Amino acid sequence: MNKQLLIDSSKCTGCGLCELACAISKTRQCQPQLARIKVWRDETRGIFVPMTCLQCENPPCANACLMNVISKENDKGLTVRRLEACIGCRACQVSCPFDASRYDYIEDVVVNCDHCEGNPECVKYCPSGALQYCSLAEAIDCLRNVEAKKRCIDSGL
Amino acid sequence: MSKFRGYAGFILEVNLSNHDFRHKELASEFCRDYLGGIGFNAKIIYDEVPAGIDALSEENILVFGVGTMVGSTFPTSSRTEVSAKSPMTGRFGTSNSGMFFGTQLKNAGFDALVIKGQAEKPSLIFIEDGEVSIQDATRLWGKDSWETLDILKNQYPGAEVALIGPAGENLVRFACIENGYYDAWARTGLGAVMGSKNLKAIVVRGTQGITPFNAGALLQVSVKARQLIESSPFFKPFKSYGSMNAAMPYGNFKALNAHNFSQGCLPDWKQNFDRPQVEKLIKGHVACQSCIIACAHWVDIKEGKYQGLQMKDMEVTPTTSYGSGCGIGLEASVKAAEMSQRYGMDMVSTGGVIAMAIELYNRGIISQEDIGYGLAFGDDDAILHLMDDIAHRRGIGTVLAEGTMRAAKQFEGGDSSAMHVKGLEIPMIDPRGRWSTWSFGILTNVRGGDHLRCRNPIENLRYNENKHDFRKERFGFDQKMYDALDMPDALKTQAIDLESDTVDIAIMSRWAEDLINLFNSVGVCIRPPVEHRIGPTVIAEAFTAFTGIKISAAQVMQSAERTWNLIKLYNLREGELPEDSKFPQRFYEQEISGKVLDEERVQEVLQQYYRSRGWDMLTGKPGEEKLVELGLNNLS
Repeated sequence: MNKQLLIDSSKCTGCGLCELACAISKTRQCQPQLARIKVWRDETRGIFVPMTCLQCENPPCANACLMNVISKENDKGLTVRRLEACIGCRACQVSCPFDASRYDYIEDVVVNCDHCEGNPECVKYCPSGALQYCSLAEAIDCLRNVEAKKRCIDSGL
Repeated sequence: MSKFRGYAGFILEVNLSNHDFRHKELASEFCRDYLGGIGFNAKIIYDEVPAGIDALSEENILVFGVGTMVGSTFPTSSRTEVSAKSPMTGRFGTSNSGMFFGTQLKNAGFDALVIKGQAEKPSLIFIEDGEVSIQDATRLWGKDSWETLDILKNQYPGAEVALIGPAGENLVRFACIENGYYDAWARTGLGAVMGSKNLKAIVVRGTQGITPFNAGALLQVSVKARQLIESSPFFKPFKSYGSMNAAMPYGNFKALNAHNFSQGCLPDWKQNFDRPQVEKLIKGHVACQSCIIACAHWVDIKEGKYQGLQMKDMEVTPTTSYGSGCGIGLEASVKAAEMSQRYGMDMVSTGGVIAMAIELYNRGIISQEDIGYGLAFGDDDAILHLMDDIAHRRGIGTVLAEGTMRAAKQFEGGDSSAMHVKGLEIPMIDPRGRWSTWSFGILTNVRGGDHLRCRNPIENLRYNENKHDFRKERFGFDQKMYDALDMPDALKTQAIDLESDTVDIAIMSRWAEDLINLFNSVGVCIRPPVEHRIGPTVIAEAFTAFTGIKISAAQVMQSAERTWNLIKLYNLREGELPEDSKFPQRFYEQEISGKVLDEERVQEVLQQYYRSRGWDMLTGKPGEEKLVELGLNNLS
């Protein structure tokens, strides 16, 4: 079963460790802009949402790509790029509804999350449990637990 | 990509008088001797600020020193230190804040920002990836800090902003520099220094990146540090409830600032400020850069007079300052915090000066005619009105805006109500109610009456006794906690006596001050779980992994000690006298639940502290031997 990157933004505290861990492991630079994950912050409302590639089934970035470098990898369901052919035009960035195509200014290419070969760095460093890496079944279990807990609290159990 | 590792590599010097910019490259000896953050600030200010200047004149220098580890994955490394000569104390003024400003400044290419001179008209400095410009900020002058931020964050998306509110513009002596919406470099009146330079804001955006010397080792030491912090018994309480954990124990000890230090704790403190009441307002946690604790709370007031107010708040010091010091309710204390943020005023000093005004009013020294309205502890409308008057220097606000020490001199008999040490208002803790390394630290703090530069890393909040004539506090932990403390063995046996289960306050103070100074140099937070488990060994390891500069645990501690001594030398040069290190007379005279400070005994502990620092026991001047040891003997 394929594993998914599960994001629970209600737990996110906005510390940005996911960004730094990602940037260091991919580029050896401490620079959040170079990360494949981005924490979207609404400071005045106290809302933090980690945004990264959701590995869409029919990715708009692939449709937008001028050089046809973006495709779906069949066995894991990941959206992958042949970076050697990327011209850094950023059409994919514009087309992504989740702001998940990130421009890497060192290599002059646009990149997306690749789940770090099944061991995502961001998940390892997330201190609040907002990011989890689990199978679809585990993810559904997780959601079920949250919903069950909520109903228990609501009904005063 | 910069050739520097860990450091951005440059200090940016901006002269507002002639619009001159300079980049200075960091020298590696300078990095080793002073590390970063407060270390850089102290050296720059000692060397470049002339002795005896007026803090609000153009000769004063404002320095933003980013901690060395800032921008890395090291847990809780987000802190930036801002320093200048303080308009409150006339000594070394310095304050520390986290969030994301330091990370941006470092990524923009600078480890420190030095601001000199005075702009002709309201200005802002914009820094982006090594480029600097000074822009006109007349349109922002007069706006409160949140309005200003709304404008600047729209104009410069993704940027971080340090700015002043109306209090800073009006040179209120305890004005702070706001760090984004909800944080500030608050203490010692740095906002007034920024206001005197006609500088409204510093906008920073950086994408350059910081290259770690050894990325693998950095990640490794970060994981190790995280495990250490998580293993601290203080971690879980702090993660769930932040610094508010201290509110109830200190209330039970009768050791809070209540109604201007006239009672140890308000009778309805527990009823109004206990955890269930506070948790009704809390919705989630907010973290600074790279923090694994996230001690700050997001507060959402859903009903009542202040309905609809949302902000990051519920930090014990401001809450006690207003809630206990001025006696207002929980929701009103959030409103007062909001007003302080908008106006850009230090919450501890604002609370302190207002509490003093109310006491003077009750004593009949200030009358209703002087103010225009009545004052009373717990009257939130009057207190918020007075805050507004102070920020805009209206009516009696003109006098109070000078801070407790100066304002008290304007009223006959005012001095006995002025609760400050060296001109800086004392925060939440009352040393009469709880005598410990922490409360003693208020006396020795280089920035005046403040509690954040000296705290026993293994303070035990279960016990509160004073059996040993002010010399010791109870240790109260087991051997395992003793062993886990990262401290040189020789010093540890001196500081902690397991047999009598006590901690020597004088020796522990010196260690705690140096340790916190080290944290403020490398930009790591001093929250109890971090201060408890992270010691010089881990910091030295992380420092080496990040910067490539080989340094030992003893050397980083020595660098921190050097900085502390340098600041003390600066304060002495500015005319600090031995008798300045003294609590307000009330602490020696007025009992609180049967407890009072014994002046002679406190003085003895102070002398022991001087001795442990290698300073003259009577005058508190750093001794020649110590200065030679630290390489500070040849200063001009």
